[in-house]
Amino acid sequence: MTTDAAPVSQDIQIDPRGYRFGASVTLVISIVALVLGATTAGWVTMAILALLFLPGATVGPQATLQARIFKRFIRPRIGAPAATESFRPPRFAQQMGLGFSLLAVLFGVLGSAPGFFIFTGFVVIASFLNSVFGFCLGCEIYLLAKRATTRAA
Amino acid sequence: MILRLIAIAVLLGASALFYYWWQGRQGTVRRVERPGALTPAVLGSPRGGRATFVQFSTPMCAKCPGTAVLLKRVAAEQPHVTHVEIDAAERLDLARELNIMRTPTTLILNSDGIVVARMDGAPTEAQAREALEAAPLPPEYAI
Repeated sequence: MTTDAAPVSQDIQIDPRGYRFGASVTLVISIVALVLGATTAGWVTMAILALLFLPGATVGPQATLQARIFKRFIRPRIGAPAATESFRPPRFAQQMGLGFSLLAVLFGVLGSAPGFFIFTGFVVIASFLNSVFGFCLGCEIYLLAKRATTRAA
Repeated sequence: MILRLIAIAVLLGASALFYYWWQGRQGTVRRVERPGALTPAVLGSPRGGRATFVQFSTPMCAKCPGTAVLLKRVAAEQPHVTHVEIDAAERLDLARELNIMRTPTTLILNSDGIVVARMDGAPTEAQAREALEAAPLPPEYAI
């Protein structure tokens, strides 16, 4: 016997491997930014990354340049996915990525090296866990963030 | 430069260790002793005669749909076991009261609606069955 209590909405389904490919692109760019450090080249790199996050954070991860590259060049070689996932959790993660990248740019422009390294470091950690292990840090943090930001009734 | 590369390697290594620790805890069955029952009114859904899986999910949770399918399957195998899914982001009151930190988190209620076990993170089928052992069939159902 089972009971359906939660609303199951019809969602756009995405190929999780495409999203992991996107995370590996993010990982490479953010590591380059860490190597360049809190310099003009460093924050410009993070600004480019923020631009790459923008379509994923607003429309969804299926709309990014990384997703297009995956669709065009990688998926034809590896075939259809075993399972698809809702676009919502990765879109939320992309919003976090966009926020952290913009903060890194801000601290970079202001010349604050610690701020630049902390927020770029967050992007490196999150994209590393996602690309290598398929683990969505943003999704795990969602409930905690919601609990912390919504006042008790 | 070399120092910075070493720092990056340490950062990635620490992230990997965190991941293995976190995943190792995933789905582990913990017995719970908590006074007070969760009523069908609070759950917004009827309870099972023997046990109820109360799964907390959010719309941002990638593993929650898979866990729901798994728990429904395990519940269907056993008489008087039901599965209830609650959106923790909508029921923040319940999430706070029951200390739900991550999704999916599944509470196992016994026949009286008392929380007897919980699994934080996505469980395997074996873990879901193990959790049900915390809620044995009540005497009135036994022959």
